[in-house]
Amino acid sequence: MPDGTFLDATELVLNMGPQHPSTHGVLRVILKLDGEKVIGTECVIGYLHRGVEKIAENRTYPQFAPYVDRMDYVAAVSNGLGYCLAVEKLLGVEVPPRAQAIRVILTELNRIASHLIWLGTHALDVGAITPLFYCMREREEILNIFEKYCGARLTTHAFRIGGLQYETYDTFESDVRAFCDMFLPKVDEYEELLTGNRIWIGRLRNVGILNAEDCKAYGVTGPLLRAAGVKWDLRKAQPYSGYEQYDFEIPTGTRGDSYDRYLVRIQEMRQSVRIIRQALDGLPGGPIMGKVPKVIKPPVGEVYVSIEAPKGELGYYIVSDGSTQPYRVRVRPPSFVNLQALDKMCRGALVADVVVVIGTIDIVLGEVDR
Amino acid sequence: MLNLLRKIFLLDLIQGLWVTFRYQQPKYIYTEQYPAQRPKIAERFRGAPRLNINPETGETLCIACNLCALACPENLIVVGSERDEKTKRKVLTTFTYDISRCMFCGLCEDACPVDALELTQDFELASYSREGAIWDRQMLEEGPRPTKYAW
Amino acid sequence: MAEQPTEGKPPAAHKPRPPAKPPAAMASTPWEDELTEALRAKFQDRIAEFSAYLGQKFLVAHPDAVAPIIEHLKLEFGFDYLVDITAVDYPERAERFELVYILYSFARNERIRIKTRIKEGQRAASVVGLHPTANWLEREVYDMFGIEFAGHPDLRRILLPEDWTGHPLRKDSSILDMDNRWVKEHLGIESGQ
Repeated sequence: MPDGTFLDATELVLNMGPQHPSTHGVLRVILKLDGEKVIGTECVIGYLHRGVEKIAENRTYPQFAPYVDRMDYVAAVSNGLGYCLAVEKLLGVEVPPRAQAIRVILTELNRIASHLIWLGTHALDVGAITPLFYCMREREEILNIFEKYCGARLTTHAFRIGGLQYETYDTFESDVRAFCDMFLPKVDEYEELLTGNRIWIGRLRNVGILNAEDCKAYGVTGPLLRAAGVKWDLRKAQPYSGYEQYDFEIPTGTRGDSYDRYLVRIQEMRQSVRIIRQALDGLPGGPIMGKVPKVIKPPVGEVYVSIEAPKGELGYYIVSDGSTQPYRVRVRPPSFVNLQALDKMCRGALVADVVVVIGTIDIVLGEVDR
Repeated sequence: MLNLLRKIFLLDLIQGLWVTFRYQQPKYIYTEQYPAQRPKIAERFRGAPRLNINPETGETLCIACNLCALACPENLIVVGSERDEKTKRKVLTTFTYDISRCMFCGLCEDACPVDALELTQDFELASYSREGAIWDRQMLEEGPRPTKYAW
Repeated sequence: MAEQPTEGKPPAAHKPRPPAKPPAAMASTPWEDELTEALRAKFQDRIAEFSAYLGQKFLVAHPDAVAPIIEHLKLEFGFDYLVDITAVDYPERAERFELVYILYSFARNERIRIKTRIKEGQRAASVVGLHPTANWLEREVYDMFGIEFAGHPDLRRILLPEDWTGHPLRKDSSILDMDNRWVKEHLGIESGQ
């Protein structure tokens, strides 16, 4: 597989993972090395495979909702939103505006939480330990809001098909506003710690470059695609859940390297705060649950609905046979597809850069393996 | 030129260090001394299940309708009931709830028409055996009995 | 203390679903625009159907025509992003599997699905040459359904262990059987399910 190695040195095969702190879970990468240089990688995945798609075929539509939280468990709310939107589309249910706005607020909070986890662990991989503590501290505030809103912190099961189960709690608005006010200066602090830091730049600049063409060819979406300069975000391209009402920008990069992805994600956190504030300002009143039949039994048909999850395009392809259980649920996981580009990004890089590249893709193994 | 000076005088590092230095103040301590200091649990928290009883009569609120068992994705609730000969109503006899398989999604408490089954703020669910994670009706009504240790 | 809960469990949700009745037809509407005209002119009767359901467009094509259609769409109409490849199993049909390709065009901001039906054991054409992203997606379809892709560079199982037998997302493989078999083989005890 590899081209001629330098000075005919023997190729070294190095096993990274599955139990390796910087693979963010149970990812095993077989590295083929020529000295320090990576000449090929191969991912071995599936250690966390739970057969979510098979489980779906044995559950009713509402019963499957808690399982989707367990795919991308750091962005459970986004997963739930995608699933609910898909079933709602299949049912033809209209979600009331108040429920849509609350969904947007929670999803954007979750995007921030997911990016914080990414930033903290990515910085930790590179050797900067401090940002992890600061990121976790701010994420804690978000998780507290989730806990107060829906009773769970990580696997939230916040949304139901047709709307929301829970009305906001008394101090919801002030809590979220307080978080937004507190959070923006903290983002500046992360930037003070990292953006100008020469070690951070040295480790990330020009590492793991993926240009726009390669992104499209490998189906890579999310911040990786935007860092390559493609101004594409499903929230703008095909708005869902009322995103068309909000005014926000799509941050993009130019070089498509790890440093640009870092900048894009930092900017995305700021934009999320902007969306949350707008949604809070215009939070409509009214019901939070649409007209959903007691027994959810979508007509025969199929639907593909995708949303912009923190990691990229998260799609649900649901085939209904007219019964209470889905005939087939296919999840199009962003992490799984993005991880495929690892080989392309790592080739020719140094061993130490592999850690950076894995971090920069922002994978969650629960979603890769499902 | 300015950049070079910034580089020579390590301004980027000092800037970062200043951030960490600011957080040295003791008022920025976030660590919780867990067993001594109890965490604040939100009112809606979905933790240990409880079968509510009517505080006045001491009878269970559960009407043995089996809706929670049907709603449960993991199929871990078993409701046993018998028909009362006199009133012709279903009466709850047994209720088992397998905590070990529960994902605390809250679908059972949503399904309950009489607010008998409820997920409470109690979050300490560890037990010494797998059997200990299977809660019967008595345990659900009275709450878990944590092991008391003699110090 | 508590009685064995596994004994008296109502098996409702775990029972393998009764063999699915032939699904009633999907209430889809025809799809006509300049894209369908161009495709019809080029591929003629190798595309059986152009339809839309809930505003989502899809076409049903002959298995041999799928790769050429995807290539044509990529080169001529800018469908340069292969979103997903998946399959659906209909065991009661003669052509058992339905392969679904989801394509997206950044320029047109449009998403279409290409569906094709293949028999058990029939090989589908791989599109890895056109879209490198198909590599893992086709491996996953192979892993879950046992559909082989002709021309795939590295067709192995991806999510399941290499020594796994069977293909779990086929309708005739049940979770309970898989669980019982695995527990017996690896732990040497009876599964409590």
